[in-house]
Amino acid sequence: MTASQPVVELVDIGKTYPGTEPSLRGTKLETLGPALWLKKLGRALRLTAVSENAVQALEEVSLRIHPGEVFGILGANGSGKTTLVKIMAGLLAPSRGSGRVAGWSLHRTAEIRRRVSYVSTTGWMGLEWALTAEENVRFFARLCGMSGALAKERTDQALAAVGLLADRQKAVSALSNGMRQRVILARALLLRTPLVLLDEPTVGLDPVHRNEMLRLVREVLPARGQTVVLVDHQADALEGVLDRAAILAEGRVERLGTPGELVSALRQVRVLELLTRGGDMPAGPAPALVRQVVRTPRPGPLALTHWRIRVSEQPHALESVLVWLLSGGGEVVQVSERAPALADLFASSSLAAEAGA
Amino acid sequence: MSARPQVSRAKGQLWPTLRRELATLWAFAVREYRMWQSYRVNQLMWLVNIFVTTLLFFLIGEMVKGQAARLLGPAYGNNYMSFIVVGVAINVFLYTNLADPYTRIARSYYNGTMDLLLLSPMSVFTPLFGFMTKSILDDYPRLFVVGAFGMLLFGAAFRFQYSLIAIGFTVLILASSFGIGMISASSFYLLNIKRGTEPVRFLVQGLLATLLAGTYYPVTVLPRPLQWLACLIPHTYAFDALRRLMDPGAELGGAVLPVQQALPWPPLLVDGLALGLMTLILVPLGLLLYGRGIEKARRDGTLTRWQ
Repeated sequence: MTASQPVVELVDIGKTYPGTEPSLRGTKLETLGPALWLKKLGRALRLTAVSENAVQALEEVSLRIHPGEVFGILGANGSGKTTLVKIMAGLLAPSRGSGRVAGWSLHRTAEIRRRVSYVSTTGWMGLEWALTAEENVRFFARLCGMSGALAKERTDQALAAVGLLADRQKAVSALSNGMRQRVILARALLLRTPLVLLDEPTVGLDPVHRNEMLRLVREVLPARGQTVVLVDHQADALEGVLDRAAILAEGRVERLGTPGELVSALRQVRVLELLTRGGDMPAGPAPALVRQVVRTPRPGPLALTHWRIRVSEQPHALESVLVWLLSGGGEVVQVSERAPALADLFASSSLAAEAGA
Repeated sequence: MSARPQVSRAKGQLWPTLRRELATLWAFAVREYRMWQSYRVNQLMWLVNIFVTTLLFFLIGEMVKGQAARLLGPAYGNNYMSFIVVGVAINVFLYTNLADPYTRIARSYYNGTMDLLLLSPMSVFTPLFGFMTKSILDDYPRLFVVGAFGMLLFGAAFRFQYSLIAIGFTVLILASSFGIGMISASSFYLLNIKRGTEPVRFLVQGLLATLLAGTYYPVTVLPRPLQWLACLIPHTYAFDALRRLMDPGAELGGAVLPVQQALPWPPLLVDGLALGLMTLILVPLGLLLYGRGIEKARRDGTLTRWQ
């Protein structure tokens, strides 16, 4: 792969999951159990192999990600982000389409594995919780073929980079969730792979550590010549981090561009942030200029409710919204108005579609 | 853009690849030992479990030793404790090698470490072998501890003049049972059996080995057709060989198994050839099926739990 070639090039990628197997609950298969496996193995296999409800996870996804870029894959839950990144990592085979990752065809998974670091915060994050942070990171270094001395040196460097050197001897089970996430980021920092895939690396982090992790992503990895693909469903604070981003909705790339280009699609939208004490969703219809309402009650004795209301940019928009909102009861405690940010773009696919119309 | 120098591989460089895979296996072994060590109560339970198992069979042995000794026949001597201690020790050895691949793959799948293992630059088979380092770490000491408990506390007697041959047999036993273990593990991905009873393990260990292999009684007490059926699994040859080698009252000659009676060779040679043949068939078959399973799961999206 030469410096000018894209690190990731995907053409019309589609992915269909075969679907879930029918439940055996209450059937003969469940009651007879192993005896039936033996007696009617062929029939049992056919029955359990029947697939229903195939899921279309990705459709006609085409992307080019260039060397040194920090590229975002953004979208709501279930939009296909993780499926896409797992295809890039070689953990999933696409059902349709073709592509190359780090210069290798998607079929060459062994080659791709040697050139990709993948960090995922889902599940147990690939950590053994009985072992210390250092043991976890060093084990991965050894899996990647590093000698004992190099593994130790890189482990120390990586743990220092994520601020965990002092906690290195603590068992992962004794670490906070944020610290565990930093352990897995340390794992990604061990290697100098051309491509680093980070699947929701900042979920659950407090703002300080979230910013610190994003700083690492923005400054450290590209400086080492690594291309970063960052998957997230919370786009807050990502605008200063990403060079470009793709926004996925229902398995398709809905938008692609720099954060500025993407946000400019919403130039006629304003976002109202309100805090009310009490107050239910008004029974009457919202004013026509309201595009989306996100209501989040905050637990506690103050009975506060946060409202994020996206509206078309029109004169007296705030007044119209306040009148409508107060018709539901309660009192307004705080009001602010702001320009849309990247997060607003995929908060609702209908909003994005409307903005692009 | 810099590639990782530590993972660069030129074609034909077999030794560096092998060395790296061995280093990875060592890393697995260290990790497994550290995990075992981190649960301190494990170590105590490990010893208590061995003691209780041996004690249980000592008590049964005490109860039936006169009658049982007659059933053992000249081939296996007349000390039921020696007979049963070898049976129990080897059965545990076989069981973990047969069952661990599936259970460890399942555990890694459900806790998300499989993602990590499949994304590192090692072969997809290395985690499977890596998990087995735990079995080896656990089983070989167990073999000696069971033997020691049996000898020191319960009247079992062993001879050590054929120890090297016995160790060679344990390697064959480990390899052949691991072959079945890999076939069992492949069902996790190939047949998408992710819960409940895994059929290969149930058939071999839960049914055939428990009833027919001769862990607690010699196969000669079984009807003749079942004795032939017993010859299809490695357990039967493993028990026969180790008892002949380790029990001071046992004979090296004197055919017991139907296959030994049918062939003109010494029984130990038949045992060795049978285990070797099973290894040659089952290990490549296990690797093939497991590799197919991984590819199928990669297509179906069932390779890792979290999507």
